[in-house]
Amino acid sequence: MSARWRIQMSVAELRARLVEDAAVIYPGPYLNQLRGESIESQCQELLASGVRRIVVNFQDTELINSIGISILLGVIESVNESEGALMLSNLSSSNRELFEMLGLLSHVEVEETEEIALLKLAEAGRAPM
Amino acid sequence: MSNSEHTRILSRLPETESVDRESVVSRVCEFAKSNPGTNALLLGGARVGKSEILRRTFDRLFNERGDVVPFYYAANHTCIDLTGFARDFFSQFVTQLLAFKHNDAKLISNDAEAFSIPARSLPDDCAWIRSLMDSFAQATKLQDPIGLLRCALSAPEISTLRGKLVPLVLIDNCHLLGESGFHSELLRALRPATPATIPSPVFVLCGLRRAVVELIPPETELFDRLETIEVEKVDVQLYEAFIGRLSDSRGVETNDSTIELITQQLDRDLFYGRAIIEAAASRDVALKSFMDFQRIYTSEILAGRIGRYFDALVRETASDRQSARVALNALALIEEAGSPLPIDALVERVSEHAVAPYELLSKLHSRELLTAGYGFVSASTDRVFSDYIRAKYRSEIAGASQPIAGNELLGEKLKDSYRMMMTRYNRAIELQVVEIVSRFDFQSVPSSLFDSVSFDKRYRGLGRVQVRRALTEEQERVRLPQTVVVHDLGAGERLGLSFRLFAAKGFEGGIYTDANEVLWLIGLINSKEPLDVDTLVEIDQHLEAAVRRQTILFTSRVLRWYISKEGFSAVASDRLSSLDSYSSTYAQLDLLQDYLTSLALGGDARPASEFELVIPIDGDAELIAARTAEQIARTADFDQDSINQIKTALIEACINAAEHGESPDKKIHQRFAIDDNRLIITVSNKGKSFGRANGQSPPSVPTGSKKDKRGRGLQIIRALMDEVEFERTDDGTRLVMTKYLKRPDVN
Repeated sequence: MSARWRIQMSVAELRARLVEDAAVIYPGPYLNQLRGESIESQCQELLASGVRRIVVNFQDTELINSIGISILLGVIESVNESEGALMLSNLSSSNRELFEMLGLLSHVEVEETEEIALLKLAEAGRAPM
Repeated sequence: MSNSEHTRILSRLPETESVDRESVVSRVCEFAKSNPGTNALLLGGARVGKSEILRRTFDRLFNERGDVVPFYYAANHTCIDLTGFARDFFSQFVTQLLAFKHNDAKLISNDAEAFSIPARSLPDDCAWIRSLMDSFAQATKLQDPIGLLRCALSAPEISTLRGKLVPLVLIDNCHLLGESGFHSELLRALRPATPATIPSPVFVLCGLRRAVVELIPPETELFDRLETIEVEKVDVQLYEAFIGRLSDSRGVETNDSTIELITQQLDRDLFYGRAIIEAAASRDVALKSFMDFQRIYTSEILAGRIGRYFDALVRETASDRQSARVALNALALIEEAGSPLPIDALVERVSEHAVAPYELLSKLHSRELLTAGYGFVSASTDRVFSDYIRAKYRSEIAGASQPIAGNELLGEKLKDSYRMMMTRYNRAIELQVVEIVSRFDFQSVPSSLFDSVSFDKRYRGLGRVQVRRALTEEQERVRLPQTVVVHDLGAGERLGLSFRLFAAKGFEGGIYTDANEVLWLIGLINSKEPLDVDTLVEIDQHLEAAVRRQTILFTSRVLRWYISKEGFSAVASDRLSSLDSYSSTYAQLDLLQDYLTSLALGGDARPASEFELVIPIDGDAELIAARTAEQIARTADFDQDSINQIKTALIEACINAAEHGESPDKKIHQRFAIDDNRLIITVSNKGKSFGRANGQSPPSVPTGSKKDKRGRGLQIIRALMDEVEFERTDDGTRLVMTKYLKRPDVN
């Protein structure tokens, strides 16, 4: 049982989808350097193609390491620099605690669910500048 | 009002005669509400109840009276030309739309054509519907089928733009809509409105899987935005309950073993199940024996509802009787072969009577009556269809009379009945073995569970509860390995005996080295007598051959474990003992399962107080450490939050050791020690220091640069663990982290 669990963890793929003109990225069960870099390149592609609103949904993310967090912080900066907006959603309590401890939450907004995050991003997009 | 209390409008089956699909219905409804402008495919095998799910979705949304307006359309053979389809689709759309707006489901059940509804009867806020109907009437006059189709398919979008409604368009039987003109117009209708801020209708397409998945080309943007909703077969328990309910409601007497056989033989197919019970009810016969069921089954296959259904399926793929005969012949040839046939060889066999054999095979493939790959063609996995093909071939091509063909099928099925029920029983035991072996995780268990002779001597005559109690006091122990993977090596049978073979790979002693790798070869034997030595030798040869056939690498340590339902003969036991092989009966297997469960639940036996783990500096190996820590912490009663903190800290410690250690052996060594109130984890490597061996503080909080990420690791470890210390050793560095079950009193 445990072996199968590990195998699934190691082969998990990064998943993403477009919702209207926003994108949702799912980092998978373990956000490490590899998956952090996948998110980074995915976001670069999205920004290049004109997508400015991105949600990172951590629903299936059981573990996160510091390298993954560092890369995520870089991604947040890149999106902000491109005048886009990025939100996090579906954080478990332990992942939220980790982000809070490392000061990540002062750089990015977190919403309970992906749907709320998308809604807030859409509202922000419509608000007068 | 609960979902089941909704008024039935399109759904055909009362709750008592259907299976619970409410979760899928909810999923489709939620999809429509949360994803305007996107589309989905509802996919599942034939006859799993997809159409009823769509009809129930319609009913639920209609009754809810929310923002989403449901529209259900089932394509059918009478409307497969473009004009016929366009007229039918448009008419039903307007009818259902008006029914929703008026909250009058009778408009639908009366089957009123939209064109027959007087325009003056429409309320003022439906002026746009009048104009929609006028436009359609104009398009009809132009006699342009494509234009008419476009007009019909754009009706849902016009409803969103002009009527401020969001239709959920449920199109069933999409596999019947194969015309190219239709395809391009459907793709046009599926595209969301631009700009994206304008709401668009939601389309859910359903039908035979192979045809439906090909509707949306993968290179299009539509494909990227497409959701898939899978409908699985109902599970065994639900199906058995469904058959029981249906039999009761039709007054058909059944018993448990016949229901089990029906479930196995019909492979949980809802349509077949209904057909059998209805047939039994109409003939007023009971289904209380295998013979009762197989008689009804045989007559259903040959001349009943199931047979007529298959007749229609085969006819649909063929343009005339001759082609239908060729199709039947081809299907029978594939069935008889028992394994995939080269397509060219099959075509050669049937081409004498078929005008376009490749086209015929392609149609049979898209109707899921066979599976055609690039070079080979194989039979359908539907066993009921296989029975139909064999019986039909005998009566329609080989020339046997229907009673003879029926008797042959009846004989076959009766012989199969016993085997099928035994297979079911064996399958349950096989799954139990795989489940138990997968749970091996360095536990220490009583050795008598792996020695049938010793077990018999110790516990003969005792009840199961007494044995369980005695096992906890047994001194001799077997330390199990940690299983990494379990392979199924196949099965075999002969008169009075069947067996299945497995190979499990894992590690012993908590250290992941080649020397500690172990291969367990497992033989599970179901026989009526104790296993004799000759059969044991024979099965052992099968086991070795199967391992080599599957190219599983032998490890330095190989262990054999034979599990025999009725135990072993004296000579076989001596031989097993001389080979240091393990031997168990099914009863011992059950007790082992109980014992492992009690360990996992924190029973009397505690895990060893110290574990060692060595992982390679490679890939995601730190996950192995985290998983191990989780299991140890859980058995030591840490709560989930603490376990998560321990796992995260350990991952950081491993990454630190890997990045900074420059360890010559490319390994990270860990030790987990538990005492009464704490877990101490030591992570060490060989090479230069990692972390701060001199006790300095870690770097300050990082600024966000990736270069500072290691500072984050140490920060995390210190924050999540109660005590953290770095120690320099002769050949490297050691990080010792402690987590208390309860934090020490800060005062």
